[in-house]
Amino acid sequence: MIARMPSAISTRIGMVSLIVALVLGLATSATHASAQEQPDRTLPAQLSAGTRATLERLIDSARVAGLPVDPLYSKVREGVFRSADEARVVAAVQRLGRDLGDARSALGDSARTEEIAAGANALRAGVRPADLSKLRDSRGRRGDHPLTVALVVLADLATRGVPPAMAAASVNELVARNVSDGSLMSFRQNVERDLVGGRSAASALDARTKSMIDEMERRRP
Amino acid sequence: MSEPDDPRWLSEISDELREEVPVRAAWRSRLLDDVARSRRPALGDTYDDRIDDTGAAIAEATPRRRRIVLTPIASVAAALLFAALGAGVTYVALSGRNANTLAPIASASRDSATRTTTTLVSTQTPADRETVRFALSAPNASRVALVGSFNEWNPIATPLVRDPATGTWMVSLRLPPGRHVYAFVVDGDVTADPAAPRAADDDFGSANSVVLVTGNAS
Repeated sequence: MIARMPSAISTRIGMVSLIVALVLGLATSATHASAQEQPDRTLPAQLSAGTRATLERLIDSARVAGLPVDPLYSKVREGVFRSADEARVVAAVQRLGRDLGDARSALGDSARTEEIAAGANALRAGVRPADLSKLRDSRGRRGDHPLTVALVVLADLATRGVPPAMAAASVNELVARNVSDGSLMSFRQNVERDLVGGRSAASALDARTKSMIDEMERRRP
Repeated sequence: MSEPDDPRWLSEISDELREEVPVRAAWRSRLLDDVARSRRPALGDTYDDRIDDTGAAIAEATPRRRRIVLTPIASVAAALLFAALGAGVTYVALSGRNANTLAPIASASRDSATRTTTTLVSTQTPADRETVRFALSAPNASRVALVGSFNEWNPIATPLVRDPATGTWMVSLRLPPGRHVYAFVVDGDVTADPAAPRAADDDFGSANSVVLVTGNAS
């Protein structure tokens, strides 16, 4: 005798499995999409258990302080990629954590994650926290405009040998005059070109800053 | 001997049950007509359908509902199809979101390398990714890769492809908004992008480069 399932029950089972699979499918794709946006927040297995524990503590402290932690994870992975010894990796993460905290203090509690990371990098290049605060105060009319590009340009100039105080003064003047981010990047490229061409840092910076301000004045209606 | 064991008694009962029940001729005729008018049951008919067919009045007064019977296997197959469609639509929606936001190509500041990005700031949702083209002129290199915060510093994750005509190595990536730190690996040596802003983070030997992705350029 062949046992046949009543069609009504069969239909109900079918509908239920259809809905369950649909929900699972959507949940899976949503999770996948979310995973694509989230950077990996695990520590590399190549590190010893002791080092991983130390790094976890450092990163947790940063997290509790409200600092961005992705740059810290990235620093760990960079150290592993470059085959740095574990003590050096820990020291680099410690230093970056301090710089992030100092940058946040200088830029204010409302600073964005990217601004804090870029500010930390500028501090690392030798820029003083007071210069970051001046930059924040110079945003002028663009009160809500991110300072990320300005901070990246500042760190770049300082890294290329421009005295940090001098670089900070120039970038600050441009930001105060509401120079666009695109113009700031052009400014950086021009100064870099001058430096490669053998011009002194002070001369290149002074000339390019004046040139940009003159151009803005000419364009003003 | 008791009564139930008596064969004659059982025979009487049997004969009684086999006697034909008198049926009125008119009723019998109407029943046969109804049966003749009813349609033959089809595959997929439910018991209720067949009952309805025998009653002409019910069948005419009530619009017949069509039932779709889905077997469990067919249901699971359909469900998987829907799930695949859902995943596909989500993927296309996410990947196609910035299909038209290819960053403008910036001319190289030097002849050694070019990099394409945008540094204009705009508001955007976290899903806004931008295509960034990384390029490095290294005609004599045999292998170039990209490492950075966007690929967990994995030297095999993002190899660059060499253009035989120019000797330029290139790769395009869709990056989420943010400040990304990166470097090239040229035949095993780590080097910063000569055309990009530098990051002052030489904790492990040499400085890296920075690319800013800000979503839709404004």
